[in-house]
Amino acid sequence: MKLGLRSKIYFSLILILILFGGGIYAVASSIMRNALLEEHTSRGFLIADNLAAWASEPILAMDLLRLKNLVDEAVHVNEDVDYAFILNDREDVLVHTFPRGFPVELQGVNSVADSQDYSRRLLDTGEQLIYDFAVPVLIAGERFATVRIGLLRTRLNQAIKSLSWLMLLSTVLVAVLLGLVGAVLARAVGTRIESLHQAIDQVMRGNLDVKTAPRLKKNCWDIMQCDQEECPAYHEPYLRCWYVAGTLCTTCVEGEYAKKIESCYQCPVYTACSGDEIQNLAESFDFMVRTLKNHLSELKAVGETLSEQQQLLETILNATPDFVSLQDRDSVYRAVNRAFCEIVGKSREDIVGRTDYDLFPQHRARANRQEDLKVLSTGESLTKEECVGKADSERWIHLMKLPVRGGDGNIIGLLCSGRDITELKKFQERLTQSQKMEAVGQLTAGIAHEINTPLGIIIGYAQLLIEEVDESSQLYTDLKTIEKHAQVCKKIVSDLLRFARQSESRMSPVLVNSVIEEALTVVEHTFRLERVKVEKRLEGDLPPVVGDVEKLKQAVVNLLNNAFDAIGSDGTIMVSSARRGESEVLFSVADSGGGIPAESIDKIFDPFFTTKGVGKGTGLGLSVTFGIVKEHGGTIEVQSPLPAALAEHLGSGLAREKNGRGTVFTVRLPAAKEGATIVEGKGLHGHNSGIG
Amino acid sequence: MRVDLSRKQNKTLVEQEEAITYAFLPQYSHTVSYQRQHLLVEYLSRTTGLNVKQIFPNNFDQHVEMLGEGKIDISYSNPFVYVKMADRFGARAFARAVEVYGKENFRGQIICRADNQEIRTLADCRGKRWIAVDPSSAGGYLYPLGHFIENGIKPDDFAKIDFAPGPGGKQENVVLAVYAGKYDIGSIREGTLDVVANKIDISAIKVIANTRWYPGWVFAARKGLPTDIVTTIKTALCKLSNGVPQQEEILRAANIFGIIAAQDQDFDAVRNLAERLGMDLSK
Repeated sequence: MKLGLRSKIYFSLILILILFGGGIYAVASSIMRNALLEEHTSRGFLIADNLAAWASEPILAMDLLRLKNLVDEAVHVNEDVDYAFILNDREDVLVHTFPRGFPVELQGVNSVADSQDYSRRLLDTGEQLIYDFAVPVLIAGERFATVRIGLLRTRLNQAIKSLSWLMLLSTVLVAVLLGLVGAVLARAVGTRIESLHQAIDQVMRGNLDVKTAPRLKKNCWDIMQCDQEECPAYHEPYLRCWYVAGTLCTTCVEGEYAKKIESCYQCPVYTACSGDEIQNLAESFDFMVRTLKNHLSELKAVGETLSEQQQLLETILNATPDFVSLQDRDSVYRAVNRAFCEIVGKSREDIVGRTDYDLFPQHRARANRQEDLKVLSTGESLTKEECVGKADSERWIHLMKLPVRGGDGNIIGLLCSGRDITELKKFQERLTQSQKMEAVGQLTAGIAHEINTPLGIIIGYAQLLIEEVDESSQLYTDLKTIEKHAQVCKKIVSDLLRFARQSESRMSPVLVNSVIEEALTVVEHTFRLERVKVEKRLEGDLPPVVGDVEKLKQAVVNLLNNAFDAIGSDGTIMVSSARRGESEVLFSVADSGGGIPAESIDKIFDPFFTTKGVGKGTGLGLSVTFGIVKEHGGTIEVQSPLPAALAEHLGSGLAREKNGRGTVFTVRLPAAKEGATIVEGKGLHGHNSGIG
Repeated sequence: MRVDLSRKQNKTLVEQEEAITYAFLPQYSHTVSYQRQHLLVEYLSRTTGLNVKQIFPNNFDQHVEMLGEGKIDISYSNPFVYVKMADRFGARAFARAVEVYGKENFRGQIICRADNQEIRTLADCRGKRWIAVDPSSAGGYLYPLGHFIENGIKPDDFAKIDFAPGPGGKQENVVLAVYAGKYDIGSIREGTLDVVANKIDISAIKVIANTRWYPGWVFAARKGLPTDIVTTIKTALCKLSNGVPQQEEILRAANIFGIIAAQDQDFDAVRNLAERLGMDLSK
């Protein structure tokens, strides 16, 4: 079992007390014994020497009474002097203190030379120990006598014994006292260390709401007589204000602990409240934990923000249709977005950490790596378009490789960004075609304008000749044929000119139903000859639209002719108009004709696109209509085959016999604002031809 | 060491053999007396072949009594004690000491503290406390008393007259008592100040007056001591000379310059003084 701090202090204390106390006791006892013995000896010598001094005169005077008095007094006054006697220069006993005769053996057991101060012998009488002292009596350097006294050791022994006991008792008492004080101290230290340890344990378990330092006995606001409630240390009994930044005392230095603590040492609050080293440790620990807690919260907040940002960035990256990847200098993928994963056909985990050699065929990977190296070495970005995939599913990709620079300006990798531009490519192709068509149109218009005049002359001369020849003659028939085909040519030229020339529009509020009615009067006769019936479903009280009456009439005639051409003969055309809310007017032309093949439906508004036989259509009618509708801010859409309900309705006519799929064109025009003056059409000139 | 204290015996002193006893008037302690005289005593024993032994009476009276009782054969005393012994017990002077400073006679001194402003002349001693050596002391009391009387100052004129405590060391005690301020004036034999020079600062002591000269210390034989012995001793004493190193040491220890022959008549001046003082020498 491991000893705790408190036990260690206890054991150390006990050990020190035993060793130290024992040592002191042994040394002190020895010193004391020697000192007492020395004192005893010196006392014996002093008594004997005094006796010798006092005895000089009576010895010279041979005053035995005085000598006897002297030795008796020496024994009487000093209770530890057992006996005293004086020998003359012939070693005869002059006087002694023994009541019944002088002990014979005693006389010779101790002697002293003239040159000695004294002589000491320890005698054992059987009953007790006696120090016998012999001191010479010298007068003018002559030996007259010897003084002998016997000093009992009993008293010395008693003194030594009681002093030893006293020492032992003192040592034990001091040891007990020290032990008690030590125990109290050890307990105080141990308890506080234990509390600190528990707090650390709590912190390690994640609980940062610990308080190890005790509540302060005096509060800073009481000491400073302060009522600044906005001070962060105010009414916080567990806080040490010298650890708190931003306290409001006038003596406080602004700033964190490191800046203000020097000034705090002088503060009366610090003087009154700061504790010993362990309390300081506990307070520092609390401060540290509090700071840690704050930092952790900040870190958590930063982490959340970062995570949010990362998610946002990832969402953006993943949402963008472009594919993006980041590679390091070794072309190892570090980050990719979803579009990139899709185009490569692997998951993010399978891509990140790998190179092109792991993802693409060898030749492709090698080419990529060479491009990468070029960007990395030159620092210039690379842009290219390339076609990938097989012939039936080939796609165009626009690719950009950009060098990525680190904080020190060195290139640390490259960013590759690409997008699928297949659709864009198609539009480009279409645009190119349109431009081509426009050029052709302009060319055609020029040619048509030049041809128009000679055609007029041909038709004019043909009509003059017709008037002059007999109607039954072959010539007449031939002239008629010339005139007819010249008329066809004129019509073509006229359409070409209308298509190519952007004639100025005269915009005014127009009623769509009137326009339809006028257009029908132009074509109804022709349609009737071929048994094509026109059915009208015009909604009354339509709001007007703003437009050029002539151009709108042309558009409707073109749609009707197109429907008639699709039917050929024996069918039904349904013209309808309606309002859509307050802001839009629509009209539609549906036929029970053969319909438009699905592959051609996208091209029907292209100029010169026609499904009719040579000489039957110019391929410009629908194109012109599209242009007019667009000019009026409207839309035109085509639907083929017909919706079921409409097909059912139109199918009751002749169209049923002809595999009638039918087509419907719907035109939407914005309604004019209220109060507009309506303009009536002045009739459509020209011919009813079935272009479409 | 193991000692058996139970075996006891009553001891008796061995009898001293016959000897010529020599005593020095105990004006000093026995130890000082011994120190001063033991060389002289040894010299006498050696040169005369007699067993001369110094004994130590405790006071002046005992000295006189012991001579009268025959316990002292040879006395070395001051002239007053001598005349007393001669008149009472028939002692006979045969030699006398020459003082250290070479005079045949000696005198007493009256002293006080040097810083005592009240005492400048002998007359100032009136009403003062006087400490003297001993009622029998010549230089230490009787000579100064005679001097006071000659100058018209009677014993009653003093606040009190005390004598130094004994036994022995009385001359020194007088100096010490005055020095300590216990008494205003003191009377001593001339030469005492030199004896105490090693104990006190004698410059602090002032000599107010010296008495007239009287004969010095005297060697006397008890009545009945055989004349040949006296003569032998007198011869040996008078032979002592400062010129012989060993003898010089003897004389210096005894604090005398030399010894000359004397006779009883030499001390009549002392007898006269005693008479003046009203002393009865026969008591």
